[in-house]
Amino acid sequence: MVSQKQLSREEFDRLAELLGLNGESAYMDELYTQVRGVFMMGESVRAIDVSTIEPAMAFIPPK
Amino acid sequence: MDTLEICYMSAGDLSKLVQNKEISPVEIIEAHLTRIDATEPVLNSFITLLADEARGAALQAEKDIQAGRYKGPLHGIPVALKDLYDTGGVRTTSGSRIFDNFIPTEDCTVAAKFQQAGAILVGKLNMHPFAYGPTGENLDYGHMHNPWNPDMVTGGSSGGSGSAAAAGQCTITTGSDTGGSIRIPAALCGIVGLKPTYGLVSRHGLTALSWSLDHPGPMTRTVEDAAITMNVIAGHDPKDVASAKVDIPDYTSALSGDIKGLRIGIVKEYFETPLDPQVRKAVMDAIGLLESMGAEVKEVSYPMFNQSQAISSTVLMSEATAYHRDLLEKDGHQIYEPVRQRLEAGLFISAAEYLRAQQARTIFDNQGRRLLDDVDLLAGPTEPVTAPRIMASKVMAGEQEVGVVGALTQYTRPYNINGFPAISVPCGFSDENMPIGLQLAGKPFDELTVLRAAHAYEQATDWHTRRPPV
Repeated sequence: MVSQKQLSREEFDRLAELLGLNGESAYMDELYTQVRGVFMMGESVRAIDVSTIEPAMAFIPPK
Repeated sequence: MDTLEICYMSAGDLSKLVQNKEISPVEIIEAHLTRIDATEPVLNSFITLLADEARGAALQAEKDIQAGRYKGPLHGIPVALKDLYDTGGVRTTSGSRIFDNFIPTEDCTVAAKFQQAGAILVGKLNMHPFAYGPTGENLDYGHMHNPWNPDMVTGGSSGGSGSAAAAGQCTITTGSDTGGSIRIPAALCGIVGLKPTYGLVSRHGLTALSWSLDHPGPMTRTVEDAAITMNVIAGHDPKDVASAKVDIPDYTSALSGDIKGLRIGIVKEYFETPLDPQVRKAVMDAIGLLESMGAEVKEVSYPMFNQSQAISSTVLMSEATAYHRDLLEKDGHQIYEPVRQRLEAGLFISAAEYLRAQQARTIFDNQGRRLLDDVDLLAGPTEPVTAPRIMASKVMAGEQEVGVVGALTQYTRPYNINGFPAISVPCGFSDENMPIGLQLAGKPFDELTVLRAAHAYEQATDWHTRRPPV
């Protein structure tokens, strides 16, 4: 996962290719913008100290 | 009785007439079908209208009631479901042409409960495709239009539910709320939207958007109707792994009008973000009215509110992409483009980041629960703005231009993260005659207090009696 830095367009294109994503260039431009937003979100979540916390999990084992 | 009057009556009022045989379900359904005919070309609330089926069910309801088999307050009352609630034998599209011909074999739990209560299904409601968007825009089935101004969005994703209830097309509608999709259209269309506590209403048979954030709930014109609906649809369902085993009260018992001593916290962070001054004033006036009615109001702080968008988006995008992964690979090019982009963007979130967001969610939840040790309810605006223009990507919140998607979900997402019950109730209109919503959130499974405060406020004002110009 690319993180802790700005995602370059070249890195995005490579990741998109590996994920099998493709589309018109305007579509990929917009997707790139969205993915940069995702990376910024990740930075925001990483800034929260979660060291002593387990993740919230909704799964309840069936009887 | 005048047709339009029937369409704007609440389920609470209609049910009394039905029980006393002063009005027939046939008359009620015909009035609503006439109203739908007149307004649907403007609003586009429905994906599937079930006129013949509703007429047949109304006739049966009339016979049952005449024979003394009255089932309760929803018997003979028109209900419409967001088109991601499975309905046996009736197509369920999830707002996408990909599922234009998908016909479930059985009802979802909520639809089955409505059926048992004698409610009459008049149709399946338009929605943002796959419930993945807060505006009510849909190129597959056409955009939804706000009854107060058809150039404006209804809000979403349960946009058809908002417009149908607001315009008197249907007495009771339902939505599903993952980041605000019940409360957003409720606020923007000027109706009541209740997102119950996570696990209180079964998700079984609903198309998922995000398993851990999805909340089904009622959208109505009055708080009493939301309570009546909750009496029918709330309760444990073994078919839903997240369904809670809790006692179900009579939600109408909350509607006493008495809020003396109720402790309401105004979340200060809600007022530190870009906010339309007209919305700010309407909400502060509403809180002032609640105080004058005996509530104790104080300012509280929810510091992690500022991280709520990031936590919520990380969880939602990860789960939505996981749920729709196969569809994305098979039919991705057929998915409404903005939704497809959001789904594909979710592929860039790692499992570690998803789990970190779930860890952060626990901290967020704990902070919210601590707040509710000191107050009974948290109050603020449902939306920072009134309904934006259809297909706009930006909107003015006071002096500041903000992104539509982020703005519409900023106050609603926190209660999806922590699962607390939250209601939007009309609290005013802008100078442009567009509705404004007050949001009240309470302790988990304390819908009674949320409904009590919302009802007391509603009854002290006349916002819910106003009708859109459509």
